[in-house]
Amino acid sequence: MSVQLSADIVVIGSGIVGALAARRLAQQGASVLILEAGPRLERARVLAAFRNSPIKGNWMAPYPPSRWAPHPIYVPKDNGYLKQAGPYPYPAEYIRAVGGTTWHWAAMAWRLVPNDVRIKSLYGVGVDWPLSYDELDPWYQEAEKLLGVAGADNTGSPRKQPFPMEPVAEPWSMRRFRERLAPAYPVVANTVARNSRGYDGRPACVGNNSCQPICPVNAQYLGINAVEAAEAAGAKVVPDAVVYRIEHEAKGRIAAVHYYSPDRAEHRVTGKTFILAANGIESPKLLLLSASDTYPTGLANSSGMVGRNLMDHPSTSLTFYADEELWLGRGPQSPSSINTLRDGPFRSQHAPYRLDFTNISQVLSVTSDLIKEGVYGAEFEKQLRWRAARQVSVKNVLEVLPNRDNRITLSSEKDAMGIPKPEAHYAIDDYTRRGAEVSKADFTRIAELMGGTGLRFSADGQYANNQHITGTMSMGNDPTTSVVDAFGRTHDHENLFICSTGVMPTAATMNSTLTAVALALRTAEHILPAKDAHATASHRGREGNLA
Amino acid sequence: MAQDRNDNVATCLASPTDLSRRRLLAGLLTAYTASLIPWALAQPAPHAYRGAFTALSAILVGRRALDAAQSSRLYNALAATHPHFPADVHALLVLISQRQIDPLNLQQVLDAEQSALAPLPRLIVTAWALGVVGSGEGARCVAYESALDAVIVADVLKPPTYAYGTYGSWTLKPR
Repeated sequence: MSVQLSADIVVIGSGIVGALAARRLAQQGASVLILEAGPRLERARVLAAFRNSPIKGNWMAPYPPSRWAPHPIYVPKDNGYLKQAGPYPYPAEYIRAVGGTTWHWAAMAWRLVPNDVRIKSLYGVGVDWPLSYDELDPWYQEAEKLLGVAGADNTGSPRKQPFPMEPVAEPWSMRRFRERLAPAYPVVANTVARNSRGYDGRPACVGNNSCQPICPVNAQYLGINAVEAAEAAGAKVVPDAVVYRIEHEAKGRIAAVHYYSPDRAEHRVTGKTFILAANGIESPKLLLLSASDTYPTGLANSSGMVGRNLMDHPSTSLTFYADEELWLGRGPQSPSSINTLRDGPFRSQHAPYRLDFTNISQVLSVTSDLIKEGVYGAEFEKQLRWRAARQVSVKNVLEVLPNRDNRITLSSEKDAMGIPKPEAHYAIDDYTRRGAEVSKADFTRIAELMGGTGLRFSADGQYANNQHITGTMSMGNDPTTSVVDAFGRTHDHENLFICSTGVMPTAATMNSTLTAVALALRTAEHILPAKDAHATASHRGREGNLA
Repeated sequence: MAQDRNDNVATCLASPTDLSRRRLLAGLLTAYTASLIPWALAQPAPHAYRGAFTALSAILVGRRALDAAQSSRLYNALAATHPHFPADVHALLVLISQRQIDPLNLQQVLDAEQSALAPLPRLIVTAWALGVVGSGEGARCVAYESALDAVIVADVLKPPTYAYGTYGSWTLKPR
């Protein structure tokens, strides 16, 4: 044991969710220690790594995994970290580094729609959440203020206070979609953590069109901004600290966590309250790894639900050529969506979805296609310009229902530190498949309205993954069917909380980050209330963990 | 075979004067290929292999002008990665010249004949257009902002990571 550390609050994981919970608790006067398995990154180096990368279509390329805290890599070759048990592949991507996976997110900071948290009651599918949309509203608002969220009121998610910022200026391409698809489909501005003006010391977007893999100018809120805010509030971050075991006392309280430094030296960190915030795969992995004689199936797992109900957002898509020059690639990557299919009585029959328009430059894609097709000579340049100006695509973002057989388990294979790798068991059910099938009619109609030619649907039965890892440590009121309560406290360990997209009981149709941040802020408030707390409802059941 | 071609080219380069280099390149071209790249004969070719590479590159990517420094850099990278690269370039240029193959049909012709040169056009166009040499784990980036895919659309788009313009400048119709 080379190091002994201690803090009031020990946070495992330095992603946007854990870091913002840490920040809030540090602001309340708690001593906060954040343990991060991966290294600290520098924006400029990530940027240079992208520019120097031979695989610019792969946004993980500028984020090579560390030896001691590997994360999944699939291109140019699967590094075998996230084992696949099937039947359907679940090639999740995430980043183990200070700041976490939002180093390269699209900054979509959506709220749910109110009915998303009641789909069992309303539609007879999935489960209900243990809290209402109204209870989430003030926490969404706080999260939006921290992240600097730009948005409009026409997205289907009600709110009581205005957005911190106006929507980001609409690219010409998206304007044309909006104009040409009306009135059949209302195209609305995405709700994003991207500055439409100078905000909180960060500049307005200048359209670098590299939101993924890296915003070069800090106009987009990243996990590293959250970490820096937590540090400014007094939290301490320990990078390269690979937590491999959570230690409990006889009666179930958590006493300490143990981590390896890269040299595999062992360290023990004690605390009063522990927050597990290491994402929807690494967190359940750690709970399962921490099995003991008292908890033989892992910590927080009396329900047997740790790692189960794995969800994400699969997508199918249509790519085509519009009949006018749109030149995707001017402005931010993810500007606009159609949100009217997120909810409705059809949810009893098939998955709802958001329809998402990309504004990612098509130059790399069409150039690669031309090379593949062997188009050379004068036609090469002519075709490159024609296609880059007109190629567009639309994808669905489909809901997946919770299913206990979709899960993360421990693999028999170990990583370089001797820690078992995570293993994914995943399938895409008929509910989601039916949603994909229904959305094809929307794809076709959208292409018609855009004068589309050269229609290319994604292959039947093939789903792209969106890296919105959800559900593996679900919240609920019933300790026999859920891992944490409505405040993120594990049912089995009174001083162990979970802040993660993994606590979301259902995945809905929207990128999960903002909801996870809102829930984490609510958890932080529950652990240690702020003087200007929003919602009295959130104080119910608080036990003063630091008292 | 490739080794033989290499030897031939090496023999041709025995007299390293500008004139002989230009004559060499001229010797590789016919009226047909010269018509595709009329500028090629007027350009100094500091190195015969490189001259042939530039000429073949110009035919493949359909450009009237190619940056000399970029050409040299790509040539070095490709020659270092692919055995017999100079000889293969020479052979493909001769093939196109003698048989007057339309660049648009070139890949089809090479594939149909199961030519050993079939992979070559894609290697060269990938290097020029995407700035990438090699494949899989051996791939490396040798150009980004100056790769042709960026250059060809530079009047409308910036390469990703470069600022498009001031906030909101992307709302305007592209010109």
